Amino acid sequence: MSFLTKLTPQLALVQSQVSKAALHTSAVCCRVQSGRYRITTKRDRPLTYEMANPPHFIGHRKSWNSWNTSTLKDGLRPSQTAIEDVFIRKFITGTWHALVCSEVIIKRQHNTIRIAGIIRQAISPRKVYFLVGYTEELLSYWLQCPVTLELQTVADKKDVVFKYI
Amino acid sequence: MYQIRTLRLLPKNSMGQSWKLATVDYTTAATRPASSGTGTEQTETIVIPKRIQRSPTDLLQSLASTVGRDATAPHFKYSDDPFLIPMSNVAKRTYAMSKEAGRKAAKWIKEEHRELFLHQEAQPAIEKFAPRLIFSEDSEVDEVVLKKLIEQGQLSDAVFVYKLLEEKGVQISKELKQSLLEMVCFFNNQEPLSEEYIEERWFLQNNRRRERGVGKTWKDGDLAENLYASIEPKTPQAYATLIRGMAKYLQCERAYALLQEAGEKEIILDTNTFNAVIQIVSLLKDTAEQRWQLTQDLLQQMAKQQLIPNLGTLNALLECISTFGNFKLARQTSLQVLAEFKELNVSLSLGSYYYLLIIFCRERGPVSHIIVDILNEISGKEFSIQHPKDTYFFATAMDVCRNHLHDKVLAKKVNDLLHTGKNYDLIGDSFKESVYYRHYLALLCQTETVDDFMVTYDLIVPNIYIPEPGIMEEILRSLEINGSVEQIPRIWSDMVIFDHTHRESLLLYVLRIMVDNHRPDNEQLSAQCCQVALDMYQKIEEQTSAAGKRNLRKNFVSFTGQMLGDILTLIVRGGDVNHFEQANEVFNYIDKNQHSIPGTPSDVALQEYVRSCVHHKAPTQSLLVLQYAVENNMESSKLAQIIHQGFTLNEIHLAKLKSLVGDMDSLLLK
Repeated sequence: MSFLTKLTPQLALVQSQVSKAALHTSAVCCRVQSGRYRITTKRDRPLTYEMANPPHFIGHRKSWNSWNTSTLKDGLRPSQTAIEDVFIRKFITGTWHALVCSEVIIKRQHNTIRIAGIIRQAISPRKVYFLVGYTEELLSYWLQCPVTLELQTVADKKDVVFKYI
Repeated sequence: MYQIRTLRLLPKNSMGQSWKLATVDYTTAATRPASSGTGTEQTETIVIPKRIQRSPTDLLQSLASTVGRDATAPHFKYSDDPFLIPMSNVAKRTYAMSKEAGRKAAKWIKEEHRELFLHQEAQPAIEKFAPRLIFSEDSEVDEVVLKKLIEQGQLSDAVFVYKLLEEKGVQISKELKQSLLEMVCFFNNQEPLSEEYIEERWFLQNNRRRERGVGKTWKDGDLAENLYASIEPKTPQAYATLIRGMAKYLQCERAYALLQEAGEKEIILDTNTFNAVIQIVSLLKDTAEQRWQLTQDLLQQMAKQQLIPNLGTLNALLECISTFGNFKLARQTSLQVLAEFKELNVSLSLGSYYYLLIIFCRERGPVSHIIVDILNEISGKEFSIQHPKDTYFFATAMDVCRNHLHDKVLAKKVNDLLHTGKNYDLIGDSFKESVYYRHYLALLCQTETVDDFMVTYDLIVPNIYIPEPGIMEEILRSLEINGSVEQIPRIWSDMVIFDHTHRESLLLYVLRIMVDNHRPDNEQLSAQCCQVALDMYQKIEEQTSAAGKRNLRKNFVSFTGQMLGDILTLIVRGGDVNHFEQANEVFNYIDKNQHSIPGTPSDVALQEYVRSCVHHKAPTQSLLVLQYAVENNMESSKLAQIIHQGFTLNEIHLAKLKSLVGDMDSLLLK
């Protein structure tokens, strides 16, 4: 209850402001945490180049993870695209279990979806090809458009580590 | 956008030319004022061509035609990553098939969890993304459903629905029965391999051909015949369908009987039905004369029914002629047939040329240069598939070039033809493609200079074709003849990658070329050869020890004395100090296992090794060599001389030498 009483004057202030002027709706910039990684005490958290650069470097030092035109003016299916991208990422990390060691990049061009990523060489090429065929086909049934996987491989997970924090 | 508009305006086939013309205009524009000064004033009328209706994919196709196959990259079905690029024929097959297996697994999941895949995103809905309909005993079916299934080519479902309809006593229209009969006859009531599985088709063909020899596969008394029986009165289409089905699946006697029956009832059949029967004439009659008699009868019947022969007839006739044992008769008749068809204005397909090749270029017959005429006729032309046998042409043509005529120029012409336009689509399947390149490479390596050959080799190996061990042997043979040891390190690394190191003959070739072509002036080459020899030594030793542990691998290579001697020589020639240690290791291996290794190193090899011992001041090692030579009854006096002259030996060594070859002075006197 005491908490409410403390807030009351502020609430009143806010109310008066709302009645007076427009609500300030932009994000609070000082406390943004998404896309940033906390430093560990032992300094042993591995970061890829992508992780090491916070979001405000997008377009400068690193690039976007989803490439599509849905958020442009008059873009089509913005919400569906976002949900589908989440689905694709979950599907890839689940199907390629403990193999994906980069972000999953999703590029949409016309009706095709190209999915790029870096995987570990932990399974034989045969199995990689099986999973490629499986993923492409199943995702294309789900998303109802041609899906292509563009994979690169690394011998060791450490090959993609940019720094430890 | 501008370009797209221009493209639409241009006539379809002159698209490339018009662009060229445009640039010509542009370059001459500067000179035009000068010429106009002379008074040749011309009013050019601009003719705007009529708009050409184009399909939505025309632009994509014209763009795609500008991109050819990139020989430096693997085929685009494989991922372009070093780990995932296939490096042997087995890997190529396995990777492509695994990908397809994954696709099948996904399809299975879709069918198994059909309730999850019922959504449709696109307008209009894309049927291929939806799970297939399942029909059971109590599904609501009618003629419309059956018609749709037949249109989609789903054989087993269509047959099931047809039976269901019959049980329910539903009357089925004649047309529908006819189209079902056509489908059942075409597939012999067997679910075909889906067209979606291109890889399986690409790699499967050669297996199917082996099965083909079995003969009749037609299902007697099966659905097709029941359907045929239920069509009353018999229509010409029903006759034609059943005859063609029987002919296709080699139920020859009954197909012919049915044809005769139709003839007696004076039913007018069609050309393709006669073609099907002409194709199986060789199975109906035994001798060439009888076969030719029967085909002539059939052709007479066709003429009576006023049917015009087409390409299928020509190819069927040529196939029949190609089975004649008497090559003179075969050649004569085939030329007659060709002349007849020229009258009829039937243009030949690649399949027809294939038959001509197998008629004229037989192993035991006289040499024929028909392929020269054929190539003059068709070079630079673009073909599309018109007959199932069209895909046999290129492999056979290359075979003729290599085995029949042994002509490099012709082979290059065939290769040019293959790479004209979309002709590469007619290469057939993986088996025919590899036969084609096998002949091509084998011919080139025999007829071209090594440098020219290596240009071609670099172009097609390994992404387009990987040589089989037999072809590798041919290549090595030509390298041996030309003494081009420079190529050996490169070829050896390819052999390691393609897994050819289990072939003793190939290893011996590589060693022989390197030993026989010693280039003392080229140190780098000697070092490379030394590296190859060491590599080979390690590889064989691994195989031998692995085979000793468990007898799994059957065809492993084991050392012979000759082989080890060659390796020893090469290492010695390689030259520096670490190599000498490795040479010692190899010699100790020979010495230790002298009872299990058949044969001994050559005398020259031991002498070179001993000289190198002298060079590196290793008297004990050189005496070991001498001991080995004495024990194995080899020429030892020469060795002893080298040792005696090369070293100032101490007492112990002198005593050893004496015990091995006797008194040195008497030896020197000899």
